Amino acid sequence: MGRRIDHLLLPAAALLAALGAASCETGSIYRGIPPRSSSRERPPDYYPPPREEYPPPPQPQARAPLERPPLREEDLNEPRPSPPATPRRGDIPPASPPTSAPPTPMPAPAVPDDSSLLAKITPSTPPQRAVSLRLTEEGRKLLEAGDHSRALSRLEKTIAVDSTNPYGYYYLAKAHFALGRHQESLRFLDVAEPLFGNNPYWLAELYALRGEDYRALGSYSRAESSYSEALRFNPGNRTAADGLERIQGEGGAGPR
Amino acid sequence: MKKFRWLKKLRLPSLKIIFLSLIVFLVLFGALGAWYVNYLEGIVTAKFEGSKWPHPSKIYSDTALLYVGMNLRREDLSEKLRRLGYREARGQLNKGEYRFAKADTVEIYLHDFAYPMEMFKGIPIRIGFQGVAVTRMENLATGEDVFSLELEPELIAGLYDRVWQERRVVTLAQVPPLLVRAVLAIEDERFYRHRGIDPIGVLRAIWTNLRSGGVVQGGSTLTQQLMKNFFLTDERTLHRKLKEAIMALITERKYSKEEILENYLNQIYLGQRGSQGIFGVSQATEFYFAKELSQLSTGEIALMAGLIRAPGRYSPYRSVEAARQRRNVVLGKMLEEKLISRRQYDAALKEVIVRRELIKVTNDAPYYVDYLRRELAENYKQEQLTKEGLVIFTSLDLAMQRMAEKSLADGLKKLEETYPYLKKRGEDDNLEGSIIVLKPQTGEIKAMVGGREYGKSQFNRIFQSRRQPGSVFKPFVYLAALMYGGDNGKRFTPATMVDDSQFTWDYEGQSWQPANYRGEYFGTVTLQTALERSLNSATARVARDVGIRHVRDIAYRLGIQSPLPVVPSVALGAAEVTPLEVSVAFAALANGGVRTQPIAVKQVIDQEARVLEKRDIQVEKVITPQLAFLMNYMMKGVLDRGTARAARQLGFTRPAAGKTGTTNDTKDAWFVGYTPELLAVVWVGFDNGTKLGLSGAQAAVPIWTDFMKKATAGTAVTDFAAPPGVKLMDIDPLSGGRATPNCPTVIQEAFLDGEEPTGYCPLHPYGLLSAPADFINRMVAPLFGR
Repeated sequence: MGRRIDHLLLPAAALLAALGAASCETGSIYRGIPPRSSSRERPPDYYPPPREEYPPPPQPQARAPLERPPLREEDLNEPRPSPPATPRRGDIPPASPPTSAPPTPMPAPAVPDDSSLLAKITPSTPPQRAVSLRLTEEGRKLLEAGDHSRALSRLEKTIAVDSTNPYGYYYLAKAHFALGRHQESLRFLDVAEPLFGNNPYWLAELYALRGEDYRALGSYSRAESSYSEALRFNPGNRTAADGLERIQGEGGAGPR
Repeated sequence: MKKFRWLKKLRLPSLKIIFLSLIVFLVLFGALGAWYVNYLEGIVTAKFEGSKWPHPSKIYSDTALLYVGMNLRREDLSEKLRRLGYREARGQLNKGEYRFAKADTVEIYLHDFAYPMEMFKGIPIRIGFQGVAVTRMENLATGEDVFSLELEPELIAGLYDRVWQERRVVTLAQVPPLLVRAVLAIEDERFYRHRGIDPIGVLRAIWTNLRSGGVVQGGSTLTQQLMKNFFLTDERTLHRKLKEAIMALITERKYSKEEILENYLNQIYLGQRGSQGIFGVSQATEFYFAKELSQLSTGEIALMAGLIRAPGRYSPYRSVEAARQRRNVVLGKMLEEKLISRRQYDAALKEVIVRRELIKVTNDAPYYVDYLRRELAENYKQEQLTKEGLVIFTSLDLAMQRMAEKSLADGLKKLEETYPYLKKRGEDDNLEGSIIVLKPQTGEIKAMVGGREYGKSQFNRIFQSRRQPGSVFKPFVYLAALMYGGDNGKRFTPATMVDDSQFTWDYEGQSWQPANYRGEYFGTVTLQTALERSLNSATARVARDVGIRHVRDIAYRLGIQSPLPVVPSVALGAAEVTPLEVSVAFAALANGGVRTQPIAVKQVIDQEARVLEKRDIQVEKVITPQLAFLMNYMMKGVLDRGTARAARQLGFTRPAAGKTGTTNDTKDAWFVGYTPELLAVVWVGFDNGTKLGLSGAQAAVPIWTDFMKKATAGTAVTDFAAPPGVKLMDIDPLSGGRATPNCPTVIQEAFLDGEEPTGYCPLHPYGLLSAPADFINRMVAPLFGR
């Protein structure tokens, strides 16, 4: 008899447990709120009823502290972080005689040329981006021809049409650089940088131009950092390589 | 003395006195007269040999960029072309004409236009449509595809002294000889025979007028007319006539007939285009016939000569019949004087005078122009602006300006009808409002309406009026919370729970108790809900946790320039700011954390098309794009579910973010709202601080909605793009936890990567089957004291 009852009790308990679980799944039937549809449709005019209808919520669970706080925002007033210090002339300690010949480092591969703006226009390119790229190309040609003021006017239209076009901001920075307005150039580069995502070719171009701006402003340490960063993205970037060579060749004269 | 012996012989002493007096009087009169003539001569000389005519500066709107793939409604294009003075072509497409060739094609022959730094030569183009999308643009002259083109800017206003004199100065050699002869025939046929005044001409005019029973001929010479137009008013007094005659005589003595004639043909008033007066035959040719002087036909020459007598009455814009009759009178005179042959006369009579629509220049956007004047006054003197013919290119979108003016006027009127206590209660107690419209990407001010009616009040409430923004300030508090966190290291996300109960904030020895609207408190709510419902107490608590200095710094960083005291009430918008500052600050959020400088003047060029000034777009990254996105995402909730949901109910369905603002005692009602492409700030209130009694949702949101629906109609729908480093997650708004299938309401929230909540909603937990781990964890946790 006892074993028979056990046989009956076990399924009954399982059934009860299943029913309990099912009630949670199908909705709070004792609250009278209908179950949610699988499409999770949200009423457009929903506005939560006054809090009094609901029991007081439990205390929010303490979240596990993050190991490292996420970067909230770049502190724009602080000097830009420098890459790990590279030995500078005057700072280098006397070298020890080498014990054996160091291995010849393999040259880092250059990043493929991604400079063509018109090549970025495909049938699936949104119209605003397409016209923005064409206007950018027109601006670029005017810059190359030395017509900086007209280039600036043309390039301003590119961001008016498409404010997410990084090339427009980049060439605006370049136009301001050509006109000797280095602070403005740096600001446009700040805006362009996150828009380039992980594109190494263009990030290298951006950092190289930033280096040129800093060098023109006399901030040689920042210029050096920027050139180095550019070469990290694209070892084949000539502007950065030449700029770095110039700075290192000049001994970094001027304010650091 | 012998010659005066007869005087001594006069017996009556009074006669002597009279005679002597008469001589003295004559001598004095002569001296005075000589001085007066000398004085008038100086005026005439200065005019003839100095700068004769003022050249008012002209203010133009922004250009309109057309490109393949854009949305463009036919009716909008048609209206734009009409405002730009394009005419519908009747046959061959000529410059300045357009036609809708088929239902899905329009052909336009663009005007020439002198842009700064380049001269655009008009080309014929064909634009193809599919629905509202531009599918193709083609240069009809070359057959080449055109990917983008600019429609020239619209003339919106002039800067001038008293009268806007629009004129193109020409030399006598540039005027067709027939036109010169026609003018002389009808206005002064004895021009080459008189010396400035013509007594015979006066007598003849009297005789002609008596015969015809009306004034059909004037007695003034061309020279007298020139003097009148140069210097004098229209008053018909003897003194003025006398002055005119003396000056005419002086002019004839000093200058040649050709010089006088040339000045006359450039000076003469020949019509009106709204607020713009048309002066000189060259400008009149362009105005009436859209031609150059050399292209005038015989009939057009006759009409031009006939207009001089009464440009308003004989204008073909006013009455084609009156113009035709006057033209025929002049043609008759030209035939009589043998200036034209009978054949030419007959042919000219048959010329059709085309009825055209007059597109008036009405000094649009007066508040915006006032703002421009202030900006221009920094670099240019008043005289330079009103006389040197500068051309000023601006950021204004005239269509948007008109929409904004109408939305504000209609909205205020509707408020007065709905709430009659708002109606005008005195001269200084009139319901007022203002709108400013900005393009966030560039800072360009696309529209500015500084008040309800410029004619009654020129006070520009966009930049001259400082008012408390109220709850419009709250996003700065939440942004500071997301960016800096609490002073105790607490992190804030849109799902962080905050307490909305009453509390007292003790600050530097003073106590402050923020109160919620209508005294309603909602207990513990998410940051998102606190923003959507604009809860004062919860916001003040957050501001206290974050620190009011951080809140103030954020406001400054985004673009608020008015001084903000470091006091708790600043968190709820107690410091006064201008709508212009508010627009700049929120534009930085709309533009992904990049602040732009507001721009109205873009370029200034002189009459020789030399660029005097160019104002470039200025950008500065002030917050990360991730934080900007979070704020925009939170503020989308204000429209979708919160205090500005009336905008949705009124039919504005595009993705948009915004914040309402209502001050204490409801003196000010604000709404700032924006899509990724366009931002508008609306303020409503009384100038004298009278209580409005309405919230931002009631007073400002409807005006904003009406404007934005019109301004964005036909354009592509865009949404705020999430940058890398942002995660979207479904959240229960009641608990701030991750939504479960049991949550009755779910909203999507944005979080910085790594900051999204890890725990599920505790109010509506998962069951065993759907989340067994969570279920078991909840069952078992209490056993272990967790």
